[in-house]
Amino acid sequence: MNTVWSLAKVVVLEMVRRKDFYVLFILTVLLTGTAGSVNLFNDRSIVRYLKEICLLLIWLSGLIIAITCTARQIPAEREHRTIFPLLAKPVTRGQFLLGKFLGCWVATGMALVLFYLLFGLVSGSRDHQWPVLNYLQAAWLHWMMLGIVIAFTLLGSIVFAAPSSNGTISFACAAGMLLLGRHLNKVALSVAEPLQSLLYTAYFILPHLELFDVRELIIHDAGLIRWDMVTLATLYAAAYGAFFLFGAWLAFRRRPLN
Amino acid sequence: MDATLSIEKLRVEYRSRDLGEATKVAVDGLSLHVGQGEVFGFLGPNGAGKTSTMNVLLGFVPPASGTAHIFGVDVIEPIARQRIGYLPEQTYYYKFLTAEELLRFYAGIFRIPKAETERRIDAVLKLVELDHARKRQIKTYSKGMQQRAGLAQALINNPDLLILDEPTSGLDPIGRMKVREIIQRLKGEGKTVFFSSHELGEVETVCDRVAILHQGQLKTEGRVSDLVREHSANLEQIFLKLIGYSPQP
Amino acid sequence: MNPVLPLALALATAVAAGGRLLLWQQSGPQDSGSLLTLLLGESRRAFADQMFLKADGYYHMGNYPSVFDLALPDGKTHMAKESEGHDQHGHSQPLPHHRDWLEAFGHHFRPTGHRHLDGIRDGREILPWLRLSAELDPHRVDSYTVAAYWLRERLNRVPDAEAFLREGLRANPDSYEILFELGRLYAENNRDVPRARAVLELAINKWIHREAAKPAPDTPSYRLILGQLATLEEQAGNLDRALAHYTRLKHFSPQPDAVQKRIDEVLTKMARPK
Repeated sequence: MNTVWSLAKVVVLEMVRRKDFYVLFILTVLLTGTAGSVNLFNDRSIVRYLKEICLLLIWLSGLIIAITCTARQIPAEREHRTIFPLLAKPVTRGQFLLGKFLGCWVATGMALVLFYLLFGLVSGSRDHQWPVLNYLQAAWLHWMMLGIVIAFTLLGSIVFAAPSSNGTISFACAAGMLLLGRHLNKVALSVAEPLQSLLYTAYFILPHLELFDVRELIIHDAGLIRWDMVTLATLYAAAYGAFFLFGAWLAFRRRPLN
Repeated sequence: MDATLSIEKLRVEYRSRDLGEATKVAVDGLSLHVGQGEVFGFLGPNGAGKTSTMNVLLGFVPPASGTAHIFGVDVIEPIARQRIGYLPEQTYYYKFLTAEELLRFYAGIFRIPKAETERRIDAVLKLVELDHARKRQIKTYSKGMQQRAGLAQALINNPDLLILDEPTSGLDPIGRMKVREIIQRLKGEGKTVFFSSHELGEVETVCDRVAILHQGQLKTEGRVSDLVREHSANLEQIFLKLIGYSPQP
Repeated sequence: MNPVLPLALALATAVAAGGRLLLWQQSGPQDSGSLLTLLLGESRRAFADQMFLKADGYYHMGNYPSVFDLALPDGKTHMAKESEGHDQHGHSQPLPHHRDWLEAFGHHFRPTGHRHLDGIRDGREILPWLRLSAELDPHRVDSYTVAAYWLRERLNRVPDAEAFLREGLRANPDSYEILFELGRLYAENNRDVPRARAVLELAINKWIHREAAKPAPDTPSYRLILGQLATLEEQAGNLDRALAHYTRLKHFSPQPDAVQKRIDEVLTKMARPK
């Protein structure tokens, strides 16, 4: 675990020292601030649209940070040749992948903490309510979802050589699942066999990222999610994360590094 | 003398992804033994199979056949790399880290205790003369400084075997001299050094023994002085003769 | 991500947009939607539709069926029906049947149950989306009428409703829908009978001008305008005019008996000695 944590720390340090996060954070602050300053029928107490915009920006930023940070890890190690001195040390390929995953996940989690603090401030300043537990649940589920995204992007970075193509494909897959995931079964019911069975299989196999998107609950003050459901969702994310990491390890463990 | 590094009938192949293209044999039937405390020069023209051999020793590439052991442990086991230091050719280390942070990261991988880590960081940075730039990010380093940072990372675990791939490649004469001095100092400390190079003069100066590889096959191996006496020529002439180079009239 | 990339992208967008803005500025006065037309092209209409649906989603506290779930047969949103005063959709409909365990699990993570925004605090939350819908597509009259209904009826902000309707009227001078809503505002909130009459009569003229010749005219709107005008005249004591409007309304109404009842009431009033 020491080795894995050492590798993760470098990834975290990289995110802290690069400008990506700051650009996205400032952009979120600016856009939320602009949206908040719009005069809507002279009513300053309208807040849900602001929560919606802020959360949308946070979700977009979260995906961008997670995917770009993960997609560049292994290609950059290869391009700069740092993978050679690293794997020439007593580091297994599994530890290498786990370290990269953990680093990206922790770095994204740190970014999420700041983003949700901003969200809490924006929402609280207009709404004068501080549903901390609800925000905690939302941030936690968001982080779990990004864990799945990071794991499959890591797998993608072994399959696809170019970080740009991996990033684009991963982003398209994540966005596709978030937007269409929960409708696949309904689409399946409306088509003929064998496409129906195919779609239904995909519906059950693919990770349902949209489960972790509880923005509507937050925006409309719908109350806390049952904690046992949050636990189940966490286990669901852990299972998919482990599945993709295992796939990445299978693809990477015997791959020649030359 | 105990063999720190031993290679037996090693064969390395690269399968082409293009249809119809034959498998390329990078190393064919190579056997080598390097004893403890030796400085061993691994010579050959580009494409001779030097880096491929090193890649097997470091576990980057699986051998098609044959075996390789470091301190008696099969190189496919990660533990075989606990006591080695490796300096790859032209590596651009994590540019957002300082030299100190880079070394702390690698020390973490070796699970070196904190106090010992700080002591070793001080020692290796002094050795490679980067002490003055230890708190600067690597992106601000010159090429020579980066190469010395690489050497420092290879030494952080106080390795018994150093594998250096073209350690002086791309360095100016002063940089080369410094690297040579470091190798001499390590030799003085009883470390085993296995390094590849094109710089035959440099090899002649620092190596106890050399091996010349051409088209994946071992052409000769022995002490530099023995080879010079045997062929009645200097190392460069021997090298050129063995790889079949004949100068144009 | 290379930080140069977003900067370069921003610069390129700024230069491109700047150039086009210059051309737009040189081309003379534009309506309020022109800037967005310039930036988004015709896709702004699709965005406006999305914003309107978003408002409807807010009206349902985030629980709004997607295109995959169900589409209302008449294509109108619940919120729009509410503003027209005849929302018929079931408020007590049972929770949807879960097709599989994933769907059942997913219901814990999004709003479920059919609820509507209510009260002053919640009602105002749909307004930003309607405003944005109107900005994106100034010719989408629903945005103005629905927002005005909520502003005056639920939030008691009559001046804001009037201002927004007037903004809508500037972009859609032939809209009988906006004129109807404006007439309703003058009649019900401002009690300004002459203005309400003028506006509602203009609405009827616009309707006749736009719809009468069509093979399938928008008769529900016509009925609403006539009904509003008839009620206005009846309440103002102009029984002759009220009678004329009710008689016209009867001709178009799906329930002529109900209208006839009103006509009879007016006739009774007229028969009373003054």
